[in-house]
Formats: sequence, structure tokens, C-alpha cells
Amino acid sequence: MKKHFKRKLKSLSPGGWVMICVMSLLCALILIPMALTFLYSFFSRGEISAFLSERGNYDESVFLTFPLSPAPASIGQYYEIFIEDSSYLKFFLNSVFYTGMILLGQALIVPLTAYALSRFSFRGRDLIFFIILILMILPFQVTMAPSVMMLRKMNLMDTVWAVILPMCFSPLYIFLIRQFMVGIPNELLEAGMVDGVGPVRGFIHVILPVCKPVIGAACALSFADSWNLVEQPLLYLANREDLRPLSVMFNRISTDGADIAFAGATLYILPTLFVYLFFQENIVSGIQLTELK
Amino acid sequence: MFRKKKIVYLLLLPGLTGLALFYIGPFIGGIWVSLTDGTLQNGFVGFDNYKRVLSNEMFRLGLKNTLELSVICAPLIWLTSFLIASMLSSIQKYAAGFRNILLVPYLMPTSAMLIIWTLLFDYGGCINRALVFFGFDRVLWLSESALRVPIVVMYIWKNMGFSVVLFLSALSQIHPSLYEYASIEGASWWEQAFKITMPQILPTAFLVFVLAWVNAFKIFKEAYFIGGDYPSPEIYTLQHYMNNKFSSLEYQDVTTAAYLFAVIVLVLFALMYLSKSVRAPEE
Repeated sequence: MKKHFKRKLKSLSPGGWVMICVMSLLCALILIPMALTFLYSFFSRGEISAFLSERGNYDESVFLTFPLSPAPASIGQYYEIFIEDSSYLKFFLNSVFYTGMILLGQALIVPLTAYALSRFSFRGRDLIFFIILILMILPFQVTMAPSVMMLRKMNLMDTVWAVILPMCFSPLYIFLIRQFMVGIPNELLEAGMVDGVGPVRGFIHVILPVCKPVIGAACALSFADSWNLVEQPLLYLANREDLRPLSVMFNRISTDGADIAFAGATLYILPTLFVYLFFQENIVSGIQLTELK
Repeated sequence: MFRKKKIVYLLLLPGLTGLALFYIGPFIGGIWVSLTDGTLQNGFVGFDNYKRVLSNEMFRLGLKNTLELSVICAPLIWLTSFLIASMLSSIQKYAAGFRNILLVPYLMPTSAMLIIWTLLFDYGGCINRALVFFGFDRVLWLSESALRVPIVVMYIWKNMGFSVVLFLSALSQIHPSLYEYASIEGASWWEQAFKITMPQILPTAFLVFVLAWVNAFKIFKEAYFIGGDYPSPEIYTLQHYMNNKFSSLEYQDVTTAAYLFAVIVLVLFALMYLSKSVRAPEE
């Protein structure tokens, strides 16, 4: 009992309390942009456009007054988005479509490839892994140009597949899941092999269930990526604005119809927030896996 | 570990086909494209494309900005996330909650957060208000010369959490007795951070720096949403150059620029890798 008390005292040293205060302050600062976005989504459209029109005033004596409560709380912005003007929803659904298709494609391809690269020994395996590492390090500006040539040859430019297909083979996630699979103890598979379980059933019944956390992490990280696609749609859908996802078009929507910008941003953020709340521990352990082993 | 199982080729087939089709194949084929003139005859022009792109003012500007922005952002992210992680590791059981909050911005779509950032960085916005409160002058954040500041801030806000997670997991593996001994000897928090912690987590620190740098090459979204296709010269990145060359159908230039950048990036990493193995031969 005494020992326990002592340890507790130590963990709550004055320095520790200072750290907790500093961290709380920092976290509050970090959350401010999101909190304000949520808050302003419940302001009436008139109030928001009045607020936004105060921007860009270069008078030394004038400050923006950031209102912290709406005059009357209103769901007018949401009403506009859902009922009156469908353009936001259209692009939102585009985003849902791209994210869904990319995740589906990755689910079919990435774990299989990672499995082959981690649990088998064959000639050229290390070379393939090395190439994947290089591809992972190369910035998008570099890998984009070759992809474009292939997409043009395949007549896929200005179609949804130009955005979806290259993303399905994203080297980062192959690497991430491979790192996890390498660490799975051999005994797990060997126990199955004695019972006559081959590589395919071993994959489905042994490897995949063990990999659930890292697959969750990859899904969440990939979701964040696909939900925030900017470079690819700009290039690959240059002539098809109607096919572009919200990540590119939201900026336009929120400048044309600024009075719905905050409700639009809130709706756009919400899915990522749900994904995050659901997968946060997986994401953390997934990020830790990026350490080369 | 399965050996001599033919089925592995079947398992590899879909992934490898895609990688070969969209990444590896065209990457090798593109070298030829960058050496030809792109007309119907498609004549071989040697290094003319490289000379032209290298002497192009916009390419140089984009390359310079991309490199400069990454050189600003990567060390900032590296240092702040190290300090935050070492602060977090001193409050152990409360650390996970804070860490998870710091990671939230990583998942936020850039365009959704832009409007609130432009309000905060407005001439009459919160940030200038804070500056005036502390006795400084207001800054025109959203015009030419200061534009980099909001972009760097937004970038760090979004990406810092990722590095904090990596640092924190490395820190949790350091034996606590090292710190106990150091505090008995009267070492300050700063001394402990840089004399015990840093050497202990050198491999992770190196990795975080590399990852932060790789990611910082991609800075474009923030600049694009603030400045559009042709932003002011302070934030014109390599991606802008490539997008604009792409929309004017000058594919030769796009490809050539990509290879030039690839060479720069790979040389940088080779140098970093060498410097690491020189300094820490045991790793």
C-alpha cells in the first residue's frame, strides 16, 4: 500500500502537472480550427455571410469579432445543402465513390501481395521489396508522370479509373502490411501445416485474422488519403469537373456559396472523425509499423 | 515460411501486374520519352529536354520552393514532435489521450479546414490579434511575402501527430532507470532530453526525419487551395509546374521534370543513408 502510494505520488510530480497543463493547452489549440468549424455550421446563412464579408479589411483599427454563439442557432446551412442545392451532395457522393472503390481495390490486392512478400521465399523477392521501398520514398510528382503515360495509352484519362486504379496498388500499404506479416511467428502457420493447411487456407484462416489490427490501420490511413485526394483528380480528371471528388471541388463551392461553407466543411469532416474514433488505436500501431525492421 | 510453392506467383500476380503497369513499367519507359521530342516522328533528341527544363524559370522556381518548403517543414516537425513526445513520455499514463488528440488533424481533409484557417490568418484575425496583444505589429499573412507562414503552419498542424506517435513509441522503450540516475546526478530536463533520450532513439529519430522530409516534398494542397494554379512566386511548387505543363499537354516536360526530381530525391536519400551508417555503424 505504501509502495503504491509512493509510486502514485511520483507520477503526479509538480513537473508532471505542468506538462499536463501545457499539453492540454496545446491540444486545445490544435482542436480550435475544428471546433470553430462545427460551431459556425449552426449559424444562420445571413450571419455567416455577414461575418465572412468582414474578411480582408486592412484597417489598422478593425479586428474580426469571432462570434462564439449564433444569434439564433440555425440549421439553415444544412437545409441548403441537403434540400435546396444538390451540387454539394453530388461531389460528396463522388468522394464516397472514390474512397469506397480505392479501399475495395486495396483490400483485394494489398494483403495478397504483402502475404506473398512476407511468408514465401522465392527468387527476386528482395528485389521486388526494394522496388516497393523506392516507390514509397519517391514523391508523387515523380511517380505521377509515368502513371499518366500509361493511363493515356489505356485511354483511361478523364475517367474515374484513372484516379482509382493507380491508388489500388499503393506501395505504402503493401509495405505496411508486409511489415506486420513478417512479425507473425512461424509456429502459427506451422501448426496449420501439420494439419495439411496449404498457403491459401493458411492465408484466409490464420494470417488474415491475425492481421486485423494492421488492416484496420491501413484502411483508416488509406481512407484519410482517398478522402483528401487533390493532385490526382486535378490531373487525371482535367476535363471532367463533374467527376471530381469533394476534396478538389469544396474550395470552389465554399467560395461561390460561402454561406454554407461551414456546414459543408463539417459534413466533410464527420466521416473522418468517425473513422478516427473507431480506429484510433489501430492507426497508432499502424504508424509505429512504419519503422523499418 | 513457405518454400518452393508455385502458388506464390499466383498470389503475386494481381499486385505485381498493377505495380508494373502503373509504376515500374512506365517509369522505365518514361526515360525514353524524356529523351525524345514528342512529335509524330518522335525523334531522339538526347538531353535537350533536360537542358530546356533545367533552364526553365518556372521549373527552377518550383523546384527551389519545394526544396525550401521541405527544408523548413521537416526540421520543424522533427523538433516539435520530439519535444512534445518527450514531454508526453514524462506523464506516462496520460500520454495516450493527448497523443490521440494530436493525431486528429492528420485525417482532416485539407480543403475543409482551409476556410477557417483563412479566417484565423486574416489581417483582422485571431493570430494578428494575439500578435498585437503581445506588442507586435500586424502581418499581412495572406499576401505574397508572408504566404509561406500559413502554409507551413497548416502543414505542421496536420502532419505533426504522425511523428509524435513514432517518437513516443520509441521513447517508451527506453529504460526509466537511465532518467532516475540522471536526475540523481542533477541533470536538467533539457540535458536529459538531448543527452540521454536523443542518443537512445537515434534510429527512430533518423526515420522520423526521413519520413517528414519525404512527406514535405508533397506540400502542394495548401498552396493550391490558397493560390490556385498560378499562386504568388513564394509558394509556386514543383507540383504547380507539373500541373501547368500537363494541362498545356507538354508531356515531355512533365516526364523530364519528374526524372530530374527523382534524381535529386534519390541522391539526397543516398547521402542521408550514408551519413547515418558513417555515424552509427552498429545500427
